Amino acid sequence: MLSTPEVVALLGVGILLTALYLQSESFVNPLITGIAFQSLLLAALLGWLAWVEGNVDLLLLAGLAVGIRAVFIPFVLRRQIRAFRWRVRELHAAHRVTGHALAAVALAIIAWFVFQQTLAGIFPEPGAALPFVLLVEGLLMLATRRNTLVQVIGYLEEENAVVYAGALFARNFPLFVEVVVFLDVLGVVLVGVILSIQRDVTGSPEEAGLEELTG
Amino acid sequence: MTLPGPAFWLFLVLLAPAAAALLALLPNARASQWAARTGAVLAFLAAVALLAGGASGTYGPYLGLDSLSELFLLMVTGVYATSTWYSARYLSGVTRPFLTPQIYYALLGAFAFAMIAVLVVSDLGLMWIGIEATTVASALLVVLERKPTSVEAAWRYTLIASAGLTIALFALLLLYTDTGTLNAFALAAHPPALTLPVEMAVALALVGYGTKIGLFPMHTWLPDAHSEAPSPVSAMFSGVLLPTALYAFLRVFAVLGTPVPAAISDLLLAFGLATALVAAFLLQNQRSFKRMFAYSSMEVMGLALVGISLGGVALYGALLLLLAHAFAKSAAFYCAGNVLQTTGTSHIDDVRDLRHRLPWTGTAWVLAGLGVTGAPPFGTFAGELLIVTGALAIGAYWVAAVVVIAILVAFLGVNGQIGRMVFAQGRPDATAPAPGNERGVGWAWLNVAVAFVLGVASLPYLSDTVRAAAVLLGGRLP
Repeated sequence: MLSTPEVVALLGVGILLTALYLQSESFVNPLITGIAFQSLLLAALLGWLAWVEGNVDLLLLAGLAVGIRAVFIPFVLRRQIRAFRWRVRELHAAHRVTGHALAAVALAIIAWFVFQQTLAGIFPEPGAALPFVLLVEGLLMLATRRNTLVQVIGYLEEENAVVYAGALFARNFPLFVEVVVFLDVLGVVLVGVILSIQRDVTGSPEEAGLEELTG
Repeated sequence: MTLPGPAFWLFLVLLAPAAAALLALLPNARASQWAARTGAVLAFLAAVALLAGGASGTYGPYLGLDSLSELFLLMVTGVYATSTWYSARYLSGVTRPFLTPQIYYALLGAFAFAMIAVLVVSDLGLMWIGIEATTVASALLVVLERKPTSVEAAWRYTLIASAGLTIALFALLLLYTDTGTLNAFALAAHPPALTLPVEMAVALALVGYGTKIGLFPMHTWLPDAHSEAPSPVSAMFSGVLLPTALYAFLRVFAVLGTPVPAAISDLLLAFGLATALVAAFLLQNQRSFKRMFAYSSMEVMGLALVGISLGGVALYGALLLLLAHAFAKSAAFYCAGNVLQTTGTSHIDDVRDLRHRLPWTGTAWVLAGLGVTGAPPFGTFAGELLIVTGALAIGAYWVAAVVVIAILVAFLGVNGQIGRMVFAQGRPDATAPAPGNERGVGWAWLNVAVAFVLGVASLPYLSDTVRAAAVLLGGRLP
């Protein structure tokens, strides 16, 4: 039987690996599967901690991770792809994924190092640096990708990072469930409303890079 | 007969926009409009009553008020009220709107409710939820005019602002882990020991909320959203949304107590100066007048942050600058709305001779331009002067020099462009354009007048509140 620190470390490594995998992929469909899998790993971690500690809030968070980020949003994203078969790959990033992957690994190492130098003494929990690394990886994806579907995946990764951090070192954070619900609402607004409007108005889920929006 | 107590006004200021948002969904468009207008005016009256009545204190576990929140409440509800009244004129000129008037007014009320909630809650977690809620409510308002550029602007806004806010949430997690509470009032009254997590929390909050404040280099959503949103919403974005995000940061910042650690005040100073300077130069070569005003708002946020970092009299100046700017900038956007709908373009080079086409709007625009860029005797001038004075008083001569450069560059850029649009003649071969519709320009005049009065008069209650708010954050009376 695995101990709690071992389970947390094992699932944490899995979450980190999915984050690195997401950076190296340019096809949107596997990216959706990747973020759904990452959310499931996070839900497993939350569920384990909820079971060990009898913490209902963590159980709710696990439910949200499965329901919203592993099932609902990926479902909506896949529907978006079906409407635009020719957009299943992010062409803009296709020739750069090797660079993205290398940058992702370098950033992960830097983020880990910074955490160890500054906050490791205060947060001694095993793998406490991982949420910090995951946050940086999510930001990298948001900053480097132009396909809006992929940007949603970057946003979901950031949300996973915040929930992960809360579960590891701020379990009694007041209103944490409400905060995560709000983040999920925003995620749903992103994919459900704005993406649909964007598709209707511009006919494309790629960022338009319109001339008028420069300067 | 006795007047109701502060608790009544507090609930009114919070619930009036919420009720307005719900009632705005009534099927009758006219009833919806009047519900929105009534809610906005009630919220403003409640904010005035709170300011005049001295309502400082906590109200239950989650609500609380002090001078700082009262000051920002006045700002937010004032601009919310005028924007709601101006909206009718603007909506009448929108062809093929994406939202019905009912949905528009409901979202406008929800947007104001979220900002007001940020200002009246005492819990930093709830404050964060309020800021996030402003994004949800306002993102859809940006796409009112159904243009591809509006949709992309809404997308960038939602995504970048949310990414920044997750960093702010990280900051709150750090703060809570170290202090065990998120009650802003308790933390400010009894500042925790200055540990590394607390200082990191403040620094991360600056980056996180800074995204929403529009600080360089996290500002990229701001010019897009401000320029693509309908003008009444742009007025609320520039005039009060950015200060509301700054307020949320100030509540985390107040946790440090006084004196503020040098590393943190240096960080604020660096972000403030960089933002003011970059925005002042970027606004010079904008082709769209709405984008130019967006960069001008960014410049003012940078100056305010400089004032906050310097403390003392400069902090008082920063608060006065924010207050006067909110009214002047909203006036500038109302005028911009009239000009946009009359000329059909936001390109500066295509707009000329407004003094004949829109004489009232053109004149108000010139005054609003002077107001937002700190011309004397507007309140913004007094604010900027106090920031420079504060820098000189502590021997930070290079800071004063950079601030003056940013102010002058922005002043010349904004007023030069407005001057060209209002006073320069159109091409001789162009056909004489028809006079425009000046409906709604009264709201621009009203807000310009408020910005003016703030610079020339010491208003009862208000001046004391600005002073008390500055003292609360470690500032000094001028």
